[in-house]
Amino acid sequence: MRVLITSGASELCAVLADHLAMEHEIRLTERAPVKSVHNFVQCALGHDRATNQLTSGIDVIVHAVEPLPDEDVSAQIDAATRCTYNLLLAAAEENVSQVILLSTLELMADYPAAYRVGGTWRPLPRTRPPTLSKHLAEQVCREFARERKLRVAVLRFGKASDATVYEAVNCALANDEEWAITHVGEIAR
Amino acid sequence: MKVLILGGAGMLGPYVARELAVRHSLRITDVKPPEEELPGDFLQLDVSDLDAVVDAAEGMDAIVNLSVLRRDRQIAWDVSTRGCYNMMQAAVTHGIRRVINTGPHLTVAGKNITECFDFGIGPDIPPQSGTYIYAITKAMGQEICRVFTLHHDISVQTYLFYHFVDPESIQTGNQRVPYAVSWENAAEAFTLGLEIDLEALPSLCEVFYVFADMPHGKFSNEKAKRILGFQPRRDVEKLWT
Repeated sequence: MRVLITSGASELCAVLADHLAMEHEIRLTERAPVKSVHNFVQCALGHDRATNQLTSGIDVIVHAVEPLPDEDVSAQIDAATRCTYNLLLAAAEENVSQVILLSTLELMADYPAAYRVGGTWRPLPRTRPPTLSKHLAEQVCREFARERKLRVAVLRFGKASDATVYEAVNCALANDEEWAITHVGEIAR
Repeated sequence: MKVLILGGAGMLGPYVARELAVRHSLRITDVKPPEEELPGDFLQLDVSDLDAVVDAAEGMDAIVNLSVLRRDRQIAWDVSTRGCYNMMQAAVTHGIRRVINTGPHLTVAGKNITECFDFGIGPDIPPQSGTYIYAITKAMGQEICRVFTLHHDISVQTYLFYHFVDPESIQTGNQRVPYAVSWENAAEAFTLGLEIDLEALPSLCEVFYVFADMPHGKFSNEKAKRILGFQPRRDVEKLWT
């Protein structure tokens, strides 16, 4: 399977790329230059041909929505919304079949600790990243799934090992639901 | 009341400014200079500039957001989504408790989903904008406003419109979208929104469809009439007679 991983500058995605490369063909991307052993393409995720070229020939996108170093809140919100929209619109045009969005379990942290919160519960974002930016990215993805332009699997990660993250992404790759939300790991409190 | 209007030099802005200037002191902003003389002070600023919005909101009692840009994909996100974040951050910074946001009906009822099939659509259905750029950018802005009301004591009323009309321009037999309001009638809603007791609103985040009483049965303006006291004028009836 040909897998595009965004936020290539993040440690999470670098490790994930190493794991997935054992079974899949990997393309890594970031909005800034990144040194990587994997096939790397720098892309601003803008409204232009470059984003279409980035997604061309890809089967699945793992979209991590991680900020660049020193990015301010406004820029993080822009990346989570506009860049996610551009990426998914290009993906739909290039016949990508699935997007796996890496989100955060912090979205559910305001529920009482004793509750067994599931993916069907309403997220409770705060007014700053990461919960606000991840929430908005989820919302953008949801509209693409609602219109059946792309299948979307949302993985909300809490405290989880690299192996658990990799296993969750692998499970998501096998998921053929139009819209699915899975909680992975424990909420950090 | 001292009122900051964002996007006040656009199409709806002059109508709202003339309506509000009777009883309020206005600071009007827009990314471009107004094409006509507007009441109050004018400040040229880009709503996607956080510092500029925060500075403009200093000393204000309320913010009215009329900013919009539909076509350019970069600017649509800058204005409709980041603009809302900046507005809410400005409200938090200056302790402004009253915000009126605006958008198209599509932020709640995406045109390829609900409007095609359903009737009696109210503003409190789960938002489903779809991916149309105008709808989704405004919907994300609206969601940012909602999230801020969960964490701050700020009341946000969102007024959703569809089609504005000049009653004088309507030709008998014109077929228009089943959801319209005259510019002047739409502007009257903002006076109601600025003057309503915030305790009379059901929650800190309320959405209203603002338009005339129309016989099509597609959308309901009942909530705007019941809670805001909005009085639809009978000035667009030539649309269906």
